[in-house]
Amino acid sequence: MSDAPADRADDDTAAENVERETLFERYTTRALVAGVTVVAVVALLLAGLAFPDSLAGTLADVLTSRNTLAATLRLSVPIAFAALGGIFAEKSGVINIGLEGFLIISAFGAIYVADITGGVWIGFAGGVVASTLLAALFAVVTIGFRADQIIAGLAVWLIALGLAPFASQVIYGSPNTPTVATSPSITVPVLADLPFFGALFSASPSVYMLFAAVAGSWYVFERTAFGRWIRASGENPKALDTAGVSVTRVRYAAVLISGVLAGMGGAALSLDLGQFTGNGPTMVNGKGFIAIVAYLFGNYNPVGAFLSTMLFAGLDAVQTVLQLQGIGIPRQLIRITPFVVVIVVLALVGRTRLPEAAGDHYETED
Amino acid sequence: MIHQHFMLVDPMTVTENITLGNEPRKWGGLAVDRRGAREAVVELADRYGFDVDPDARIEDISVGEQQRVEILKALYRGADTLILDEPTAVLTPQEVDELFDVLDELTAQGKTIIFITHKLGEAMRAADEISVLRDGRKVGTVDADATTQEELAELMVGREVLLDVDHGTAETGEVVASVSDVVVDDDRGVRAVDGVSFDVRAGEVFGIAGVDGNGQSELVEAVTGLRTPDAGEIRFRGEDVTTASRRQRIEAGMAYVPEDRQDRGLVMQFDLVENGLLGSQHGAEFAANGRIDWSQTRGHAEAIIDEYDVRPPDADAEAESLSGGNQQKFIVGREFERDPELVVASHPTRGVDVGSIEFIHERLLELRRQGVGILLVSSKLEEVQGLSDRLAVVYEGEFVDVVDPEETTEEELGLLMAGERPGDDGGGGGGPEGTASGDAAETESGDASETERDGPADPTNAGDGERA
Repeated sequence: MSDAPADRADDDTAAENVERETLFERYTTRALVAGVTVVAVVALLLAGLAFPDSLAGTLADVLTSRNTLAATLRLSVPIAFAALGGIFAEKSGVINIGLEGFLIISAFGAIYVADITGGVWIGFAGGVVASTLLAALFAVVTIGFRADQIIAGLAVWLIALGLAPFASQVIYGSPNTPTVATSPSITVPVLADLPFFGALFSASPSVYMLFAAVAGSWYVFERTAFGRWIRASGENPKALDTAGVSVTRVRYAAVLISGVLAGMGGAALSLDLGQFTGNGPTMVNGKGFIAIVAYLFGNYNPVGAFLSTMLFAGLDAVQTVLQLQGIGIPRQLIRITPFVVVIVVLALVGRTRLPEAAGDHYETED
Repeated sequence: MIHQHFMLVDPMTVTENITLGNEPRKWGGLAVDRRGAREAVVELADRYGFDVDPDARIEDISVGEQQRVEILKALYRGADTLILDEPTAVLTPQEVDELFDVLDELTAQGKTIIFITHKLGEAMRAADEISVLRDGRKVGTVDADATTQEELAELMVGREVLLDVDHGTAETGEVVASVSDVVVDDDRGVRAVDGVSFDVRAGEVFGIAGVDGNGQSELVEAVTGLRTPDAGEIRFRGEDVTTASRRQRIEAGMAYVPEDRQDRGLVMQFDLVENGLLGSQHGAEFAANGRIDWSQTRGHAEAIIDEYDVRPPDADAEAESLSGGNQQKFIVGREFERDPELVVASHPTRGVDVGSIEFIHERLLELRRQGVGILLVSSKLEEVQGLSDRLAVVYEGEFVDVVDPEETTEEELGLLMAGERPGDDGGGGGGPEGTASGDAAETESGDASETERDGPADPTNAGDGERA
């Protein structure tokens, strides 16, 4: 009897330790990844300073070049837009793996509309409309008819993957479209002359739109009633329904927003080059899937998703620059990095918490 | 409407949940007025004397507090009539008392409350007027002050029921199953069962009482082979079965009435013939050489239906077309017909009508008379107290105490279920000696082996208050 309280105390501390451990794991894994990245980069830069002629020196040069940052931003745009769209859909409880399809259809739509109207911005709007229509189809099938979200998402991807090159073939006689005019980049005076960060202030309009979209998405989720409804719809739709908000309408809205955002990404992608190329996996080439990885890695936070996109795109950009300098890292190796990262993160850490009701249909009890 | 299952969003805060769907806005609707929302919640909680933290996340607060949040949610929307559906199912007795205080406060302020329950004691205590529903019809409305529990029970089942199960003394045989120092983690990796030891003997009911979610599910899963314990040993009929598969355990004679009949007990889209085969699908009787003998299987299902009074008596009916009570009777029948050595019954009467409860209880006691060991887990105090020969109380994955249910009052059990160990509150009278718990004590977990209990302070009043 006398040692019973002592046992209890031990158990309590043990329980606390367990608790602390999980808290530690939950909140620091991403910090750890970020920390390791920063340390590695700093070490590389120092090594580069010390031995400018070595491989480290070259790498350091590449990393500090504003061209790398500019390339990273350019590569980030479609992925980050699609990731934001994915966050909206999945937070509301609809897993949207059709992001790739939204990107493809909007990339082609933008070029087609720009080609027939001659206006870059009208083309951009055309791309967004194309993707939103596809999103509406996806929404009707998954929310209205309660189809399986994964199957429907795959269907969206495959439809777009087939439809865009086919339309291009019919209209232009080739899976690749002719080139159209691109919009010039916007340069902020003075700031654009900054050594490294100048790249942030001399970029194409889509980069600025991306910044606005990231901030806007964050605001919607954190500050507006609609953002809370989306969260509730993905976590416990019954609670939202009981509170008098239509889950169906919230989910429709979220999926349509998802289509709009992904459409902006796809349109920006093709209009940046002025051409849609539809061979093989098309010019989108898996960016929609990397977007899914990015928002999972970013834990459904718009800013987190943007930063992880930058990380993945940054690797790609460095690889491209290194290739030009004759230091070849196989492109395929860089390509798979995001997927390896996400498997490691999900498998070893497993702390990305999916919305409770993601993937479930909501049945109203009437 | 306060649902039995809370309509709350776990990762969101109390304030966010209460205001969900009716958020106060600012900037022309472009933003939620978070300060205003918080103030409204604090003001509302103060007005009704509720104790809630407006900034806590739902997943971090107790079930009793979650229920208060549910009530606040209704009040925030200006409700004058509150409907509470089985509100006490998940609460400790102390939390139930708090709930009744809250309800008193609400009625004093002019709110109307509709309180749905199948527990007679609660109906008597909470209500001014009681209507009894049976088979979808209202069979009577009585004044709570002018009626008795027996009268209510009669209305509910349409005939007289024996509220006190005739129980008799246990003639215990040898140890059937023994669990020693078992540690089990739940799906999230959190320790759910933390060093539990007990023995179940042939011909006794070993009860485990406790509020849901204190590790009972994980413990039962470890015993039945659905989950591998992280430490400790489970022996069944003298053999170490700690890592034995579910199939090996079934074949060795362990029957299991699962807590969630729709999830683990039945395949809802299968008919009763197919469901009756579940668990015996490897047996030579029904499936020799890998082929199912359907006529044999059908006969088996029909025997269960007949013997266990499953209605409608149609073996071709799909499981989902049966009422909860009849589904449960079918599962109980299927499991008991295995000629088990040990029955693990987890919440065997949850969500089941009074008639079926009575039936299932009688069957359990009959098996016990036949010398079968029974491990009974239930959050219904009157059930575990009424049926068990020895009763363990579990709290946060540990046995707080193992007591003789006859000698213990509901109040004492309530305190144990809330994690208060015997002796914490200056335990008075010496422990009873020579009763069933005397020889049981040697087999109990270490820290409970020398129990001191409060003498039964008020034995007359205790117990019959909540029996249903």
